[in-house]
Amino acid sequence: MHRLTTAGIDIGSSAIKVAVVDEEADGQITVRSAVSERIRRRAPAQVLGLIFERALAEARVGAAADLAYIASTGEGDVAQGLRTGHFYGMTSHARGGLILEPRARTVLDVGALYARAIQVDEHAKVLSYRMTSQCAAGTGQFVENIARYLGVRLDEVGDISNAAQRAEPVSGICAVLAETDVINMVSRGIATGEILRGIHESIAQQLAKLLRAARGKGPVLMTGGLAADAGLRAALTRRLGEDDKAPEILSHPRSLYAGAIGAAAWGAFRHRKLERAAPIDQEAGLA
Amino acid sequence: MTATPPTTAEAARPLTTLLADLEASHRSLGMERVRSWKAAAPERRAIGCLPVFAPREVLWAAGALPVFIRGGGDQLETIRGDAYYQSYICRLPRSTLELGLGGWLDALDGMIFPNTCDVIRNLSGVWSSLFPAKLTRFLDPPQAGDQAAGIRFWRSELSALYRDVCALSGREPAPEALRAAILAYHQARRAARRLEAARIETPWRFPVDETYLLRRAGDVMPPLEWARLVDDYLVAAGARTVRPEDRIRVLVQGAFCEQPPLGLLRALERAGCYVIADDLTLGHLDSDDPDPDPGLDPLQALAEAEMVGRTASAVRYDAQGDRGRCLAAEAKRLHADGIIFAAPSFCDPALLDQPRLTKALGDAQVPYTAFKYAENTGQFQSIREQAGTFADSVKLWGHA
Repeated sequence: MHRLTTAGIDIGSSAIKVAVVDEEADGQITVRSAVSERIRRRAPAQVLGLIFERALAEARVGAAADLAYIASTGEGDVAQGLRTGHFYGMTSHARGGLILEPRARTVLDVGALYARAIQVDEHAKVLSYRMTSQCAAGTGQFVENIARYLGVRLDEVGDISNAAQRAEPVSGICAVLAETDVINMVSRGIATGEILRGIHESIAQQLAKLLRAARGKGPVLMTGGLAADAGLRAALTRRLGEDDKAPEILSHPRSLYAGAIGAAAWGAFRHRKLERAAPIDQEAGLA
Repeated sequence: MTATPPTTAEAARPLTTLLADLEASHRSLGMERVRSWKAAAPERRAIGCLPVFAPREVLWAAGALPVFIRGGGDQLETIRGDAYYQSYICRLPRSTLELGLGGWLDALDGMIFPNTCDVIRNLSGVWSSLFPAKLTRFLDPPQAGDQAAGIRFWRSELSALYRDVCALSGREPAPEALRAAILAYHQARRAARRLEAARIETPWRFPVDETYLLRRAGDVMPPLEWARLVDDYLVAAGARTVRPEDRIRVLVQGAFCEQPPLGLLRALERAGCYVIADDLTLGHLDSDDPDPDPGLDPLQALAEAEMVGRTASAVRYDAQGDRGRCLAAEAKRLHADGIIFAAPSFCDPALLDQPRLTKALGDAQVPYTAFKYAENTGQFQSIREQAGTFADSVKLWGHA
């Protein structure tokens, strides 16, 4: 077996992430580059064009044609024409999660619009999963909206929340009601940290329910945009601490890229599988 | 696959415009194509046919355009139709009644109800009470048993229908007209087969939503005009530069009567599948060609084609009990990686057929997944999720 270089494109609702990885002959995955860009009211295709080139440059890959497989995940239609294949978000996060933290047996993906708990085996095969409903409460977009109301930078949210001594209770059912709650709290002079901690407690309550429903076992690796939020991790650890066998909650500096990394790794797997079945270029003209 | 050069005025249009027009026509409930066809000559008639069978050659020979009515789709709010039915049956009879009571089907001069299921049979009775001035006919195609008796019976049914529709259009029944109709539908069937072959060969050039729109256009178009449209599409779509993707090849089964919304079909392909074959428009030119030999009685030829060559389906008695095995064999013949059972909620024929089909697929190790829909299903997230995880499991852990 030879080394393969592949790319994964994770099209989220608020940001696009691209990872370029090497799969060595022994199956080891090395991340060569991982970049992200927020969409911010631009055409997602335009954003993808920008960061895909950046990811290739950082990985020192000359052109898309030099990649063995380009895999999309998430809202992958944007990558049509560029991609070789598509993997469902859950499948990609499961694989990416295990590449980042091989001990993980549950991946908790908290993105801008959805959260999902995915129970996996040691081969990154999805055993069971649970996903939040369409309501945005408990997701990244909600936290971003609240941070904007409070005039706080997104990367400060976790530390400010953790520094607070108490949490101001917030509606845990509806993002719209919670946002109204926050406006009232600001007018009542509640401290920003207490509001943010209340928000984190509210989200953690929902994520804990999700983990229990998915029967998440073993160490839990958080992926997606909110994985970097230390305040949320702390709140979730506290919330799950109420259980007898509370799992360890983990994060990784590259948690944001778990979907893109996982898609790229599955791409390498597929390339080898198709290569074994028939020479890909002759069979279907796949890159 | 071969296709003739563009021949119709529609060929002059770019593919995107052609597809946009097909979709606009599909979404319109007003049957503009049928109305404009009828407006060209006062003696022209149009007859609606419920799924999954239409005696097209007979109607066409009698001067009537056969028009498949496959429910109201996702554009129609069903209010009056609901008043006639209990809640635990499919949506098709309600939306069809809504179309009738709302005047959407006024262009039709009659309706044919084949014996697809109890619901459609009952609808024929309701329809004849509500629209007594229009021709209403319940047709019960022979199923099995004595083939000679079945052919005799079916010939007499077709003969009576031919006579009645000729009376509507003011034509004299004539064997030559029947033979000409058989030949016209021969060409349409061959076009349908070219379309099927193209999808199987290079599905990335012929997405399911496009080929579906094309087939639905055939539900309301004269046969030769439709055959030319298919060839125009095949030339235009076949010339596209589309990069094939690493997707699984699937057959879609069970959606033969009440139709899924277009968004659902798109969701399946977006989830990582190529739909290479389906039973979505069963009854649309899928039986064997009747023999056009001038020496033969054309009605006899039609009756024999129906008895011998009709496509096996959930609504046809399976005397051998081997439809499951045949489906598994078909999947292998077409190099399909799996089967997606997509059945309308409460569709007895599709849902009662499923267990024995899945048993046979399990025995043959053909992967499958199943979900239900309604013609007005508006949210495809869960279906996309199911199809996406199915595609992933086949690609990563299966034989694809």
